[in-house]
Amino acid sequence: MRQAFMLESRNVCLSHREICLGVLRLTVVLLLCVYSVLNVQAQNSKLSDYDIKAAYLFNFGRFVEWPSGGESSNGGSFTFCILGHDPFGQNLDHMLVGRTINSKAITVKRIATPQESSGCQILFLDTTEQGKLNKIIEALDDEAVLTVSDIPEFSKHGGMIQFVEKENRVRFEVNLEATQRAGLTLSSDLLKVATAVMRQPR
Amino acid sequence: MSIGAQTRHYPITKKLTRMNMLVSGLALVLACAAFITYDVISFRQARAHGISIQAQIIGDNSVSAILFSDVKTAQSTMSALEAAPNIVSAVIFTPDGKPFAAYWRDEKGRIAPPPRLGPNQTDAYWFKHGELVVAHKIIFQGNVTGIVVIRSDMREINERSERYAGIAALVLLISLIAALLLASVFQNDVAEPIVHLAKIARIVSREKDYSVRATQTGNGDELDLLMDSFNRMLEQIQRGDDALREAQRELEQRVESRTSQLADANRRLKVQNQEVERATKLKSQFLASMSHELRTPLNAILGFSDLLAEKTAGPLTDKQARFIGHVRDGARHLLQLINDILDLSKIEAGQLEFHCQDFLIEEALPEVLSTIRPLAMAKNIAVQQKLETALPIHADRVRFKQILYNLLSNAVKFTPKDGRIDIRCYESGDSISIAVTDTGIGIKPEDQKVVFEEFRQVEGPSGTTHEGTGLGLAITRRLVEQQSGKISLESEFGKGTCFTFTLPKGQIAHRIAAGVGDLRPSVTSASNSAPKKPLILIVDNEPSARELLASYLDQDYQIAVAKSGAEALEKAKQVHPDAITLDVLMAQGGGFETLVALRKEAETANIPIIILSIIDQKQVGFALGATDYLVKPIRKTELLEIMNKHLPPDGSASSPILLVDDDIKALELAEETLRNAGYETESVQSGTQALEIIAAKDVAAVLLDLLMPGMDGFQVIQHIREQEKLKALPIFVITAKHITPDEIEILNRETEAFFHKTGTWQEQLTAEIGRVVHKQKLAKGVGAQ
Repeated sequence: MRQAFMLESRNVCLSHREICLGVLRLTVVLLLCVYSVLNVQAQNSKLSDYDIKAAYLFNFGRFVEWPSGGESSNGGSFTFCILGHDPFGQNLDHMLVGRTINSKAITVKRIATPQESSGCQILFLDTTEQGKLNKIIEALDDEAVLTVSDIPEFSKHGGMIQFVEKENRVRFEVNLEATQRAGLTLSSDLLKVATAVMRQPR
Repeated sequence: MSIGAQTRHYPITKKLTRMNMLVSGLALVLACAAFITYDVISFRQARAHGISIQAQIIGDNSVSAILFSDVKTAQSTMSALEAAPNIVSAVIFTPDGKPFAAYWRDEKGRIAPPPRLGPNQTDAYWFKHGELVVAHKIIFQGNVTGIVVIRSDMREINERSERYAGIAALVLLISLIAALLLASVFQNDVAEPIVHLAKIARIVSREKDYSVRATQTGNGDELDLLMDSFNRMLEQIQRGDDALREAQRELEQRVESRTSQLADANRRLKVQNQEVERATKLKSQFLASMSHELRTPLNAILGFSDLLAEKTAGPLTDKQARFIGHVRDGARHLLQLINDILDLSKIEAGQLEFHCQDFLIEEALPEVLSTIRPLAMAKNIAVQQKLETALPIHADRVRFKQILYNLLSNAVKFTPKDGRIDIRCYESGDSISIAVTDTGIGIKPEDQKVVFEEFRQVEGPSGTTHEGTGLGLAITRRLVEQQSGKISLESEFGKGTCFTFTLPKGQIAHRIAAGVGDLRPSVTSASNSAPKKPLILIVDNEPSARELLASYLDQDYQIAVAKSGAEALEKAKQVHPDAITLDVLMAQGGGFETLVALRKEAETANIPIIILSIIDQKQVGFALGATDYLVKPIRKTELLEIMNKHLPPDGSASSPILLVDDDIKALELAEETLRNAGYETESVQSGTQALEIIAAKDVAAVLLDLLMPGMDGFQVIQHIREQEKLKALPIFVITAKHITPDEIEILNRETEAFFHKTGTWQEQLTAEIGRVVHKQKLAKGVGAQ
């Protein structure tokens, strides 16, 4: 009898402990969840769309190959050019400090006209340049410059990579025909994550 | 160890099997375990490697998705893992540790935080909670882009392990069965010879049969060698055993033969022993009969020559007297010789008995000196004694006197005229030494060793042999030695000899008074109940002489003593002695003057006076009124006879003395002797005749010979003592027979005295008979009153 009682009490004890542990775990998980949600919101609130776009600009540089002729003209550095209004501000400069692409130092150049774009590897066009888009595309005339913009319908008008918003996330579309015409080679990995890829009509 | 203890008594076949099983089993288990372990480890590594590769692929394919935050693309990439059913989950973390995308095989679970990898470490795997976890760092263009963590379950590994374990168990089982079969085949090669050897050894040890041999296998291995050695050992043991048996058999035979030899020897010894006993008995008988047969005729010669010399048979011419003297001397010498030889024989046969007692030397010395002095006087040899006071010795009194007599007579014999003999007695340790020194011819050193041997006589300076048996010193030596003493001699040839003998010291504590008068009861204190004895006054200045005389006389007479002539006169008047013995060579006042004085006095004039002297002046003595004259040394019997003669019992003897002897010569001698002493005799020649006469008439005493035909002396004694009225009849025994101790006992009990038929018995007999007859008369007188 006594043994049985003891066993029973032990079982009770165990189950009690399990319950305690379970509660503890649950609490921890809840706390974690709350924290992570808060954290994400904090980040979102902290990182603006253009911060993300700045990071993407940098990443595009890592997935694209430029023809070898165009590189020597600007003294071995990788140049980001921003035509027209600069939506990034100093954030882009800060983000690129100490970073390289293909072992090249990165410089940021803000230009006013497409003619100034020689030596640029990536050219960002702000939405303010929407009216002059066709002229600008023409002016570049298939130079080996990766054009990126968040102007709507940019890719359809001969632009190479266009930022789009999808499910509240910054995504992008690629005009593969334009890049191929300019002699640029895009990594399949980049194409894999693009929301849409426009190819040459067959 | 416990298993070992339990199985220790197992037979060797079982042991071998067990050993084989254990060894092969253990080897197989170890091998299988090693194999399985190796396989599991390598499989795990392979699995880890494989998953690591998958992680790398996923990581590489997800770089752009991570960089451009494309979760969907990443998830679709990861969904390729569905092809690997063992992968439970996969998670891609951003470099800052946040989960980016995840894949779950079953349902969604909790995401563990990413592991921390070192800066140079790109891959890691570990096993945790039954799962394989692989982590892979995603590096894109030199930068860490993210971390892939894949968890895989162990089902495959476990299944593989189980399968392997099953196979191993199967292999183990089959191997063991094969090993058992093989062992049973091969163990016979090893075990069978050992079992066989053990069986043989058991047979050998149990049945001690060394002829059995182990059957060799003949294949020349160690077991074969062992068997060979064993067989050889058996052979050697068998040989040894055979030899041992042979030796044992020989030994037994030898023992048997020795035993039988011993038994033979014992038998012979027994027979010889019996013969020796018989011979000893014969010798004793011979001795007894010889003493009888030799002494009987000699007795006659001596006795009759004595009688002739005393002129009892008529007057003799001088020549006849001289011749008779020669006959007597020769006979005495012969008798001495016979006595010596018999003594020696008895000593040698161990038949001489010693009745040792404690006594003082000074008591025994006078008796010897009284015998020796006349001999010494004849050669004008001075005999001097130097006695320490009161020296008790433990010895046989008679034998002591014999020793002393032998030495003294020897000294006298070899000492020329005017010589000197000294007797010294002194204490030396536990014994008393008696030395007899003479100024004689001495003994040459080369002869000194042999003088104690039998029949050795040392030649004198003139080359003539001296009279003697040559046995005296031999007997003396034996007598001394048999009484625990020693005898030795010192001598210078031509100057003299000193014989010294020792005897054990005696235990007499008190000194016996030298004066006889002090010792003996006084004249007046005689017992009233006893009949009054005649009184004799002994006059002698020498205490030892007085003592000697007193000892001779005190049994039948009362004694008074006087030390000088004057005292003698005084005492004679006081006590009125019945007789006086007078030494005429006293220091103060000559003996003869005393004699004359006694005769002058009326009171003493009629008292018989017997002169005792060393010098023979009989004519002077008789002329001066001596009743009788005796020359010293005086023998007891002689003295008693004289006393008897001069103190005649009142009234003449009425009853005769019965003489019983088968020998007529002996009878005649006794008759003559007793008749000369004044007794009547009646003679018969047999015991029966004697008994008839005793029954018919009154006899005063019986003189009985022991050895007679028909009824012998003992039977006669028995018959006499059976009659009440004859209980007190005095019986004297005279015999030439050697008397045994038992017979002595009988004779001591039943008779007054017993004599050997030697030269001196006549005087003793006369004295004893006189004493007895005197007593009878006194008894009658008392009865008349």
